[in-house]
Amino acid sequence: MTGANVLVPVRESVTLRNTVAYAVDSAIESESESPPTVHFVFPLVRRAVLGPPPDDAEELLGRVEAWAEEDLEERETDVRVETAFVGREEYLFNPGDYADVLARYATEHGVETVVLDPEFNPAGMTPLLPPLETELERLGIDAEIAPVERPTRRFPIMRRASLGQFVVLFGWAFGFYLLIAGSLAPFELATGAISGLVVAALLWRISLSGFANVRRLAGRLARMGLYAPYLLWEIAVANVQIAYVVLHPKLPIDPEIVEFDAAVWSELPVTTLANSITLTPGTLTVDVNRRQFTVHALTTETRKDLLDGGLERAVRFVFYGRSAARIPSPAERNAERTWESDADAESDVAENSDSDAESGADDDSTGGENA
Amino acid sequence: MTPREIAIAVLAAGGVFFAFVAAVGVLRLPDLYTRSHSASKSDTLGAGLALGAVVVTFGANLSAVKALLLMLFMLITNPTAAHAIARAAAEEGIEPWTRDDGTQTSDEEVER
Amino acid sequence: MSFVSSVLLGAAGALVLISLAIAYRLVRGPTMQDRVIAVNVIGSNIVVIIALVAAATGEASALDIAIVYALLNFLMSIAISKFTVERGGVL
Repeated sequence: MTGANVLVPVRESVTLRNTVAYAVDSAIESESESPPTVHFVFPLVRRAVLGPPPDDAEELLGRVEAWAEEDLEERETDVRVETAFVGREEYLFNPGDYADVLARYATEHGVETVVLDPEFNPAGMTPLLPPLETELERLGIDAEIAPVERPTRRFPIMRRASLGQFVVLFGWAFGFYLLIAGSLAPFELATGAISGLVVAALLWRISLSGFANVRRLAGRLARMGLYAPYLLWEIAVANVQIAYVVLHPKLPIDPEIVEFDAAVWSELPVTTLANSITLTPGTLTVDVNRRQFTVHALTTETRKDLLDGGLERAVRFVFYGRSAARIPSPAERNAERTWESDADAESDVAENSDSDAESGADDDSTGGENA
Repeated sequence: MTPREIAIAVLAAGGVFFAFVAAVGVLRLPDLYTRSHSASKSDTLGAGLALGAVVVTFGANLSAVKALLLMLFMLITNPTAAHAIARAAAEEGIEPWTRDDGTQTSDEEVER
Repeated sequence: MSFVSSVLLGAAGALVLISLAIAYRLVRGPTMQDRVIAVNVIGSNIVVIIALVAAATGEASALDIAIVYALLNFLMSIAISKFTVERGGVL
């Protein structure tokens, strides 16, 4: 059983999002008198010892905080979130150093439990986690590696789930079964219930990552109802354009890959946006890495449309309400970045500078490479 | 011909037309990224229109609901599949074709 | 045969021909992903063909087959994408 206050050391990693969710969950579920606090700390390593913390570290902590708030928002709790940098004046090198720094922070802030991201590996060295865990235990602090999904699947993909999730999943499976069966005969009810139970028992801790409360869900559904016609219209337009381009004897295409940071957060909105991008005018989502979208655009025009951000705004409207729709578009935010494949970067340089000039998004992130 | 029959004919014809566009795109476009454009978009709309014809044919009953489900399902899975394929290709390091590449691999060789 | 069923069967026939044409891409490649795209498009065409034939003949139970086929088609794309990339993190 984990204690009330939780400490999570964070670094950029693929499983960070789920680790944050897990830490917040365990803080919520812990039963204690005082409201628990989740601390996210960023251990600064060697080169960042002096001066202010690097921008990307700040950015990461901000993102982690936003995630945690988002997870908390959906429940009624009084869990608090705090972020900090640790190890500023130290030379963190081996697991012992990390454990010392974390333990010091833990005692200062009354933290009993450390939750570790399974991919947490700041210095890029060979296995840090098992020794770090041992060191923390030695210093009298509970350490736990978050049981979250990671690409290599050494940990189960299960997450914590409540009975509510089981019931909802069962309901969906049962309802779908009856719909396909098309009758309410006792036989169908019985077989449907059994199948639903099997499905729910197998999957209740994997699917359905969390629940919004009913009012939020209703709001989202209503706005989704507004979004659907818009999306359908965009799809229709997309197809006429594609049909024109494909059937045109000269094949007037000018494909290019653009990359930009979308201003949407959390899984479902990101998935919706990615699918919407794929369905609409000449754009195809190649990769999504957290908020960073890699999009293949078929023509110059579609590239411009994408960065004008109409879709993005619509998705934000669906999930976060009207106020969120007013965030500036990707082009205004300078969120675009030029894409560099791992294979050969240099052959792209010429095209990259082209696309920058077109979109007017000539910013510092590209300047270094093109100079 | 009743309006219903006309609707069915129009929807079915639209479905076939966009399936045809998808096929031409898959055969004619120069690389797999552009091909998956036509596969994900035109094919989805084509399937949607054809299934619309099926819905209208069945009228208001359970089969129509199933056809609608099928439509919704394809609307979700087709772009996802296209995305997964494109991503797999990107991870393997397959370069996207660009206009000034000069390496028009399989461009003009295919036409129906 | 009624007008509606001949229209639907005609559409199904056209889709069969279109699918056959796409088989060229399936044979030709050149990359694995090209083939997956081709199979995916052919698969969704077959789903539509099944649905059209179901509507034309009034055989409603064939729609269930179409649903299962659509599921399998999606799984196939995802599975192949996943296994052509070494580390298993495609989706």
